[in-house]
Amino acid sequence: MALLEVRGVEKRFGGLRAVAGVDMDVNEGELLGLIGPNGSGKTTLLNVLSGHMRADAGQVRLDGVSVLGLDPTELTRLGVLRMFQMTRVFNRVSAFDNLLVCGQAMGLAETGAGERAVQLLTELKLTHVMHLDGGQLSGGQKKLLEFGACFMVPPRIALLDEPFAAVHPTMKETMAAFIRDRNRHGQTFILVSHDMPVVVELCPRSVCMNAGKVLAHGPTASVLNDTAVIEAYLGEEVAAGGGGSGRG
Amino acid sequence: MTIPDHPNFLRNRLTQEMRLALAVLVALALVPLAVGSPYWLGVLIVSMYFAMLAVGWNLLAGYTGQFSLAPAAFAMLGGYTTGLLSWHWKVPLAISLPMSAVVPGLIGLALGRIVLRLSGPYLALTTLSFAEIARLVIYNSIDFTRGDQGLNVPALTESRLGNYYLFLGALAAVTFGVYLLLRSRTGRFLQAIRDDEIGAASRGIDVVRTKTLAFLLSCAICGFAGGLYGSFAQLVSPELGLISQTGIVIAMVVIGGMGTLVGPLIGAVLVYVASEMLRDAGNIQMIVFALLVIVFARFFREGLWGLARGAIARTRRGSAGAAKGA
Repeated sequence: MALLEVRGVEKRFGGLRAVAGVDMDVNEGELLGLIGPNGSGKTTLLNVLSGHMRADAGQVRLDGVSVLGLDPTELTRLGVLRMFQMTRVFNRVSAFDNLLVCGQAMGLAETGAGERAVQLLTELKLTHVMHLDGGQLSGGQKKLLEFGACFMVPPRIALLDEPFAAVHPTMKETMAAFIRDRNRHGQTFILVSHDMPVVVELCPRSVCMNAGKVLAHGPTASVLNDTAVIEAYLGEEVAAGGGGSGRG
Repeated sequence: MTIPDHPNFLRNRLTQEMRLALAVLVALALVPLAVGSPYWLGVLIVSMYFAMLAVGWNLLAGYTGQFSLAPAAFAMLGGYTTGLLSWHWKVPLAISLPMSAVVPGLIGLALGRIVLRLSGPYLALTTLSFAEIARLVIYNSIDFTRGDQGLNVPALTESRLGNYYLFLGALAAVTFGVYLLLRSRTGRFLQAIRDDEIGAASRGIDVVRTKTLAFLLSCAICGFAGGLYGSFAQLVSPELGLISQTGIVIAMVVIGGMGTLVGPLIGAVLVYVASEMLRDAGNIQMIVFALLVIVFARFFREGLWGLARGAIARTRRGSAGAAKGA
């Protein structure tokens, strides 16, 4: 049984079917790439999976139990952690307190949450800014901080929406190394990214969406060589080069 | 910068602010040594009443990011709780005064369950409507509340000085209570919600429940201030709940420093004392405060406390630079 089962999920906005009957499985310990052009429905699907939007139809099961209709707080407590494309850090409390509050919200005692926060800040190379308020951090530091917040308590599944967008290469490598390490230890991820070299390197399997539907799925290399994916997303040059950023 | 082994920046900041709040409270405690005039002691008592409302409203707006327009209405409800219990059923103040916190707190809990799913202008408009409805119901329920004649409330003490220290003690207790709350896990949740509600929910914080708790406590603080004010003035009337009273509370918090522990105290005392000094100039004080609110909201978001903190930091940097140069 897959850790996360998505069956026939639909999300409409008026006449637009942003997610149009998506079926998808994510296995325990898997690092799944979710790719596709802008407007293909990736973020909307993550919004449904993390409880930020209610699906109009379909079913989502975590560990075999239906979780469709639960709110973000309930899903977070079940271990579905979300990193947003537009960062959502707490601007008027320090980077350290940003993590501490997340740990406490997940049930850690203050001392344990504090130790864990320092450990994560060290791992993400943010100790030099731990005293600064969230609002004083650079865009890349905010991304790293929000990324770290997802791991205050190891999640059942981490949904990462464009974690590498507009991030300095050094920070990107820090984040990629963290993902690789955690995945090696069995952490499950869904990674939404337009950064094809990183997706190729990190994700053994990918799903490509277009117009709200699954266009192709399977081993990442096969998906990237799929004619429909090349036509709708990558373009001939990128596919031939086997890297670069996806179109859109 | 040296990083402590187990840093707690938020708590350190709160402790620093609480020390300053204590300094303000100690300064207020010493005022009667220099000011003997019953009139000016009365002015300071009313400013401490407003300071309690400001602390209550600041807990909600400054620390939770929820803009209620009903602090004065809840003070009125607290005042009427004490007044009605004393007037109709001769309940002693020892019971009716605590009830002035309990009843508005419970009303706040019920209202909070409804309105705190709303946010931004909708929350402000709903609380404004509630405030006006509450005031008009009290104003028009003449048989029960005596309408605009108001209700007589027994005094806790007839002594001006006694009332002064009673209000000071209550203000200190309320400020210290809010400080303890903000240091706690719940206090961190409140501040996370203030900064980003969606982000807070996505990290496992029960947003509606936490906001409701803040609303309940804010309403209880305002209600208790109203009950205490009733026993000082020995009268409660629907005028306590006028929206202009809420405007004064907001002006005090914005000018003093929203989202800080010490700001509401400084703001309340300065604004109310200044308004008394400007009383002879007619309604000019409201124009002055409205302009000040615009200026502070536009240019000095952290209010007077923020300006003072900036000045202290500049002085420290200057001294450190001079020491290095030497």
